[in-house]
Amino acid sequence: MKRPLTRRHWLTTLGSALAGVMSLALARKAKAAVQKVLASAPAPKGYDPAKHRWLMQIDVDRCIGCGLCVEACKTENHVPPEPTYFRTWVERYIVKKPKPGSDTPRGEVVVDSPNGGMHFSSALVPREEIMRSFFVPKLCNLCEHSPCSQVCPVGATFETPDGVVLVDPKYCIGCGFCVQACPYGCRFLNPITHTAEKCTLCYHRITRGLRPACVEVCPGEARIFGDLKNPVANDPIQRFIATKRVMALKPYLGTGPRVLYAGLDEEVR
Amino acid sequence: MNDCPNPDSPAAAAGQGPARRGFRLPAQLVRLVLLTVGIVVSYLAARYVLTPVSFGQYGWYRGNALAEIAAREPVYAGKAACDECHSEVLEKIAKGEHQTVSCESCHGVSRAHAEDPDVKPVKLTGSHCIRCHEANPSRPAWFHQIKVREHYGERCTDCHKPHQPNEVP
Ligand code: HEC
Ligand code: HEC
Ligand code: HEC
Ligand code: HEC
Repeated sequence: MKRPLTRRHWLTTLGSALAGVMSLALARKAKAAVQKVLASAPAPKGYDPAKHRWLMQIDVDRCIGCGLCVEACKTENHVPPEPTYFRTWVERYIVKKPKPGSDTPRGEVVVDSPNGGMHFSSALVPREEIMRSFFVPKLCNLCEHSPCSQVCPVGATFETPDGVVLVDPKYCIGCGFCVQACPYGCRFLNPITHTAEKCTLCYHRITRGLRPACVEVCPGEARIFGDLKNPVANDPIQRFIATKRVMALKPYLGTGPRVLYAGLDEEVR
Repeated sequence: MNDCPNPDSPAAAAGQGPARRGFRLPAQLVRLVLLTVGIVVSYLAARYVLTPVSFGQYGWYRGNALAEIAAREPVYAGKAACDECHSEVLEKIAKGEHQTVSCESCHGVSRAHAEDPDVKPVKLTGSHCIRCHEANPSRPAWFHQIKVREHYGERCTDCHKPHQPNEVP
């Protein structure tokens, strides 16, 4: 059955085609507008995430608890000054001597981190009562199977090809799921932007060939930083793994933390 | 299409159904299909408009976020930046006990100074020595510590060159 080709028929076909083209143009325009809102600033030239694999390791015995890393991290990353927000912090562990007459090998364990460990005072427990004491720097554990990025409902936090877990502040809706999911307590909600924040391994520095701020100021080489894909001569990371007995934090959780600690003790969690 | 339905068929007799066109979808089903197509098309259109181009570049996230996070300006200049003008200080430090200590651990953020030497770095008072060297039972034994009150004096740099701490100025 054929319809006759009337003028009306031609006009409607032409009109709908025009409307189609116009709505396509409109969609393009809308898309361009959305992209503009999400536009990106230029990245450092010549940086290819596929060609790097960053890693930080911690040598607990080299940490002198000066707190410079905590301070440098806050300065470098404009972390809110209140003592509840840290991307990295230092904990002090004090294992007391067992009480006389008790049959335990060691006494009570006291852990503190006043203001993130920025300035430790020397006397928390009298020296005579201390059996053993040490500092443990903490940061994002760069998990292989990071629970924080698994729970993010909008794809705002993710593991990059170069081994860093990042938060996209333009996508983050501030629901706080990731803050709860992180078993290491490495995240917080920024009180100003209301988005999740965490250690980025100073992504803006490492992509420029600089070391993370905490590594830069660490006086004792307690923080060892390197690129697994581009080892340098006498590579500190390779040397660390070859010469130390290392352990990850909470390995039983199956998060696959890539940050390894040397000199960890039973009490550290 | 060609074969005419039997005029005696019950449907034709009842005066309902497709008289000449054969099978036809019920109207409510047609509406349902159209509605579904409409929803899918508007979803695809919204997805096309709202998804950033770089989404999925590396994974289920916005690839451009990497560049955006990397775009921020660093605050600390780094030891290498000082080498350009203070290479003699770097050489001195590398020979002494402070070889593992970075310039900005003591001198503080010095990027403004490294970019423009007319901007003076912060004058150090000496209290920064104590931050590291004050005796603390939690500090490891390999690290040399002093009880400041029992040490020889308050002004550290009178007796220790800061860059070669075991030398007397
Ligand atoms: C572009 C060259 C340049 C770079 C890079 C540079 N400086 Fe300087 N710096 C100078 C000059 C010039 C002076 C002044 C020397 C003088 O007055 O005797 C100076 C002086 C100083 C002083 C002494 C200031 C005083 O009060 O006497 C310190 C401390 C210092 N620089 C630290 C640093 C550190 C730390 C860095 C690395 C982050 C750095 N500088 C990088 C050029 C540079
Ligand atoms: C242990 C702490 C410490 C470290 C590490 C350190 N400085 Fe200093 N530096 C001082 C002190 C203290 C002074 C003297 C007080 C002042 O001028 O502020 C000083 C003075 C200087 C001066 C001016 C006087 C001079 O000796 O030339 C320069 C330049 C300088 N430092 C550069 C550097 C550079 C570059 C580095 C990194 C390689 C560095 N310093 C590392 C503590 C330090
Ligand atoms: C950022 C931390 C830090 C600061 C600040 C610092 N030092 Fe040191 N100092 C170290 C480290 C690390 C060593 C090397 C390890 C050691 O020898 O104990 C060291 C070693 C020393 C030694 C040599 C100890 C020995 O016999 O081997 C002396 C002396 C010394 N520092 C004095 C000073 C003086 C004086 C200042 C202030 C100008 C100062 N330090 C500031 C970290 C620091
Ligand atoms: C009057 C001179 C004088 C002053 C001031 C002085 N020191 Fe010393 N310091 C010495 C002498 C001498 C030694 C080496 C002998 C010793 O270890 O007791 C020494 C040793 C040290 C050591 C190494 C300790 C060890 O166990 O080997 C450190 C660390 C140190 N001083 C840091 C400082 C700091 C920090 C200050 C500033 C608060 C300071 N000194 C002020 C004279 C001084």
